[in-house]
Amino acid sequence: MSTWNYVVTAHKPTNVTHSCVGNFTSPQDLNLIIAKCTRIEIHLLTPQGLQSILDVPLYGRIATLELFRPHGETQDFLFIATERYKFCVLQWDTEKSELFTRSMGDVSDRIGRPTDNGQIGIIDPDCRLIGLHLYDGLFKVIPFDNKGQLKEAFNIRLEELQVLDIKFLYGCPKPTIVVLYQDNKDARHVKTYEVALKEKDFVEGPWSQNSLDNGADLLIPVPPPLCGVLIIGEETIVYCSANGFKAIPIRPSITKAYGRVDPDGSRYLLGDHTGLLSLLVITHEKEKVTGLKLEPLGETSIASTISYLDNAFVYIGSSYGDSQLIKLNLQPDAKGSYVEVLERYVNLGPIVDFCVVDLERQGQGQVVTCSGAYKDGSLRVVRNGIGINEQASVELQGIKGMWSLRSSTDDPFDTFLVVTSNSVRLVSSTTRELLNEWNAPSDYSVNVATANATQVLLATGGGHLVYLEIGDGILQEVKHAQLEYEISCLDINPIGENPNQSHLAAVGMWTDISVRLFSLPDLNLITKEHLGGEIIPRSVLLCAFEGMSYLLCALGDGHLLNFMLNTSTGELTDRKKVSLGTQPITLRTFSSKNTTHVFAASDRPTVIYSSNKKLLYSNVNLKEVSHMCPFNSAAFPDSLAIAKEGELTIGTIDDIQKLHIRTIPLGEHARRICHQEQTRTFAICSLKYNSASAEESENHFVRLLDDQTFDFISVYPLDTYEYGCFIISCSFSDDNNVYYCVGTAYVLPEENEPTKGRILVFSVEEGKLQLIAEKETKGAVYCLNAFNGKLLAAINQKIQLYKWVLREDGTRELQSECGHHGHILALYVQTRGDFIVVGDLMKSISLLIYKHEEGAIEERARDYNANWMSAVEILDDDIYLGAENSFNLFTVRKNSEGATDEERGRLEVAGEYHLGEFINRFRHGSLVMRLPDSDVGQIPTVIFGTINGVIGVIASLPHEQYVFLEKLQSSLRKVIKGVGGLSHEQWRSFNNEKKTVEARNFLDGDLIESFLDLNRNKMDEVSQAMDVSVEELAKRVEELTRLH
Amino acid sequence: MDSIPSSGGASQYLVNLPSRGTFTSPSISCNSNGMRVYVCDHETTPPEGQHIKTNTQNILIRALKLKNVSDNSKKRTAEKVLGGSAKKPNNQTNSQQDGSNGQTSNKNFQSLTVERLRALLRAKGLPTKGKKASSLNIHSYISCIETAYG
Repeated sequence: MSTWNYVVTAHKPTNVTHSCVGNFTSPQDLNLIIAKCTRIEIHLLTPQGLQSILDVPLYGRIATLELFRPHGETQDFLFIATERYKFCVLQWDTEKSELFTRSMGDVSDRIGRPTDNGQIGIIDPDCRLIGLHLYDGLFKVIPFDNKGQLKEAFNIRLEELQVLDIKFLYGCPKPTIVVLYQDNKDARHVKTYEVALKEKDFVEGPWSQNSLDNGADLLIPVPPPLCGVLIIGEETIVYCSANGFKAIPIRPSITKAYGRVDPDGSRYLLGDHTGLLSLLVITHEKEKVTGLKLEPLGETSIASTISYLDNAFVYIGSSYGDSQLIKLNLQPDAKGSYVEVLERYVNLGPIVDFCVVDLERQGQGQVVTCSGAYKDGSLRVVRNGIGINEQASVELQGIKGMWSLRSSTDDPFDTFLVVTSNSVRLVSSTTRELLNEWNAPSDYSVNVATANATQVLLATGGGHLVYLEIGDGILQEVKHAQLEYEISCLDINPIGENPNQSHLAAVGMWTDISVRLFSLPDLNLITKEHLGGEIIPRSVLLCAFEGMSYLLCALGDGHLLNFMLNTSTGELTDRKKVSLGTQPITLRTFSSKNTTHVFAASDRPTVIYSSNKKLLYSNVNLKEVSHMCPFNSAAFPDSLAIAKEGELTIGTIDDIQKLHIRTIPLGEHARRICHQEQTRTFAICSLKYNSASAEESENHFVRLLDDQTFDFISVYPLDTYEYGCFIISCSFSDDNNVYYCVGTAYVLPEENEPTKGRILVFSVEEGKLQLIAEKETKGAVYCLNAFNGKLLAAINQKIQLYKWVLREDGTRELQSECGHHGHILALYVQTRGDFIVVGDLMKSISLLIYKHEEGAIEERARDYNANWMSAVEILDDDIYLGAENSFNLFTVRKNSEGATDEERGRLEVAGEYHLGEFINRFRHGSLVMRLPDSDVGQIPTVIFGTINGVIGVIASLPHEQYVFLEKLQSSLRKVIKGVGGLSHEQWRSFNNEKKTVEARNFLDGDLIESFLDLNRNKMDEVSQAMDVSVEELAKRVEELTRLH
Repeated sequence: MDSIPSSGGASQYLVNLPSRGTFTSPSISCNSNGMRVYVCDHETTPPEGQHIKTNTQNILIRALKLKNVSDNSKKRTAEKVLGGSAKKPNNQTNSQQDGSNGQTSNKNFQSLTVERLRALLRAKGLPTKGKKASSLNIHSYISCIETAYG
């Protein structure tokens, strides 16, 4: 049963919705604060550039974000309002490095119609009040007292019902708002009001302006000395104030974002819907505005927010493409652009569709998303784990081990070591001369040996451990110890202060299966740790990550043990065991971007690294690797040398991070994607906007891409007004070929709803799309499914089944077999066996069944809630998963055992949860390698993709585990508090226009997994509440982290 | 009125961009993946008196009271307020009825849905009027909503 679900984020939101700059973390610090829908990021501006400080999750979707500074304060406070009508004011506590909640509250009203144009939250520049426009016809005021504290809020009636924007004016004796609104004849005007705090009412303001540009949508208040407001329209820009009016025509464009450049407001950056960045200049003589100028600067991502940082650097936050750090150059480049893009910050949003594929055929899923929109559309290949990008490779048989040698510089001794079976030889790396030799006792041979820049440790048969030191051209035996068993592995990797010398040696033993720590140089036993089991340690490694020391010990069966190591006492604590593969592992350190990581070579090569002081394990996109060593040469800088069966490869390594994302820019907007294993291709439905000409137009295509190179290899242009709505790869009964089937809709400007569409059946022949059959439909084909060797289509209100028929002339066609009416719009369809699950535009989920004998489709059951669906998926025979457009997730259960027809005809709601993300697509699959021997390998998962660029995982847990984690979640709620005093319970409660109910049968994996980020005291607190040891809790939570 | 774009280029307007001493020698590398995630294990309830609530007194009654206190001469203002606020509940009931109609009769669905879609589009900050969106229909709702929520 898939009733008990665990929801966790694999890729955090990347859609940047707001940004602002101010002195937040201290009076001297200049910060950039970025909102990514449910998270805020705090960055510091430094002479070297942007430095990330903190990523703060929030229990709400951010509606407004503003920095402000009450009188007498030396640093800025952060005002955040959420879409579910909560607000908070945060202050950075520099001493504790904490976010302190100055005030918070609920600003919802019991009656009132939520605004159509989104919520507005603004702060008076003189900090007299906060203004909120959340419901039509109401303006909410939260006044400040003279100490900067907030007072009780009150509502003022606002006559204008269709408000487009509201801003506070600068330099007014009384707090004054300017309102841009539309009247009931669709004309747009601005009006000003003074807020009379004592009377709690508006007083007519100093000026107003009627009949503006029909596209006027944005107000920019201008600070002193000029004051007044800029009204940005689609064809004009107007400056307006009590004593001035200026207007200029502009090239038609829709301004999406603005950023103020100068503190006096004489220059602004405007970003439009095509990604054009322009500079708006207010020319003025003293305090009188004399003119406006708009100068195009160049292209960026389509901006949702613009923040001028400093010294000509600008942050462009985007919802439709990557966010960017740009520099404004004084002189244009060859293309006439003043914009230089210095850095791109990956944004997967909006993920409109995606598919899960195994391109490298290694048993690990990758997600390929349709990301971005308009000109910033792209495909993104999202892979868990780290990629090695092969630079060179050579056939080489029988590699036993590998070391990189350096001729001089770092190595002060110009030497290298050769360890033979019975001696250690010190050889000059420049002259190749034998400098010195140490011979093993004649009856023993050297089994294992390890060395660093100044030390050698080796073990011979009979349990002899010998410690040598390397002098200037000499080898000196310093110490010898006799152990009771044979030695299996050794390490003296320096992790102390001296990078050339270690004072600890780790030794793995046969027979008693232990790992021991010895001090150097005297070879005294400090610690002995029995590993348990019967598998001998095959590789040990001392290493340090983020200032913490660890001992890693790899076993012969692919397991890895790790311990925290106290370097002064040699004490080993926090033992943990993970399974990396099934073959013996060889451990080796390497560094990338000045950070040390560990490479575990085995049948499942893994990179071990540390983040937030937690050890993380990432798969590498390679099959069996026997050895690895860092290799840095002129031809291959910062590379790794990797030994595989019969082959030596040199490659560079991706950034060390959990998810790796490859971007394939398309320059057009991909809306649907599908993979065809047999032809090794992807097919997408995409559209290209042509905004160059005066008439904006769109062209729609079906494109074929190679699944390795992602090159366009074939294209099928759709008709004028024809949209590609859905694409699948499928085959039919009595036909061995595999096809791409595309559903389309003719979207005619005069029609409210499409009345015509097509189903196109393509085959891939010699890399080309060949149209095999087409079938006209009486509406938009919103969804297609391969179904019992036939094709099931969702066409407007109807579900229609087509069979694939061979005609007499040998050609094939789609022939309608049967259908089912009774939906508002059948948008999302999934099938399992003879069952059909339909997600309707506004009537939630219904279950249909196909009856073979009668050749008919009938309704079996439905959910009678009025959910506006955005995606559906079948979890198992009885449980169906849905996402709806108020950002909720829910499951419904088929009730086959119901006593009456009425009961059986009802899909019972089984689980409800507020995700806070708009899901466009579910797909079965996993982002991680499923090792058959691990517990998590058995847990079924569904992946989802959202508008904010989130990739998440829904895992259906066994009941026992669910109950345990539910208890853990409620214990964690007491320890991990919502930033700004927001409540986790309220945040996760299912909420839409109709109802709000507590979350059930879904768990918040993000909260549960943050257990691992707690400090020890807090872990203990949770452990006591749970009555389960910290180690056990950590182990169980760590297992879950390996689901994504 | 100046016409745009002007021929002079933007160079003259890009001089003297504000500088406060940062980004002077940028070596660009900001890896947001390594960013520390804030785990909020401290108390976050605001100090006493800073849990803000909204005054629940009806706007009309409040206005009347305030008016009474300040002076008692102008009845007209009160009437005006009354007239205005009486309108609003009407609007609301109308829209609520629209909503319930939609579920009962599919006949009205077409026009109703378009109205609701228009409202939804507005809520998403998408153009519901104007050149490009002059043709609002269900299909464009669906294609808009999947990208533009946010």
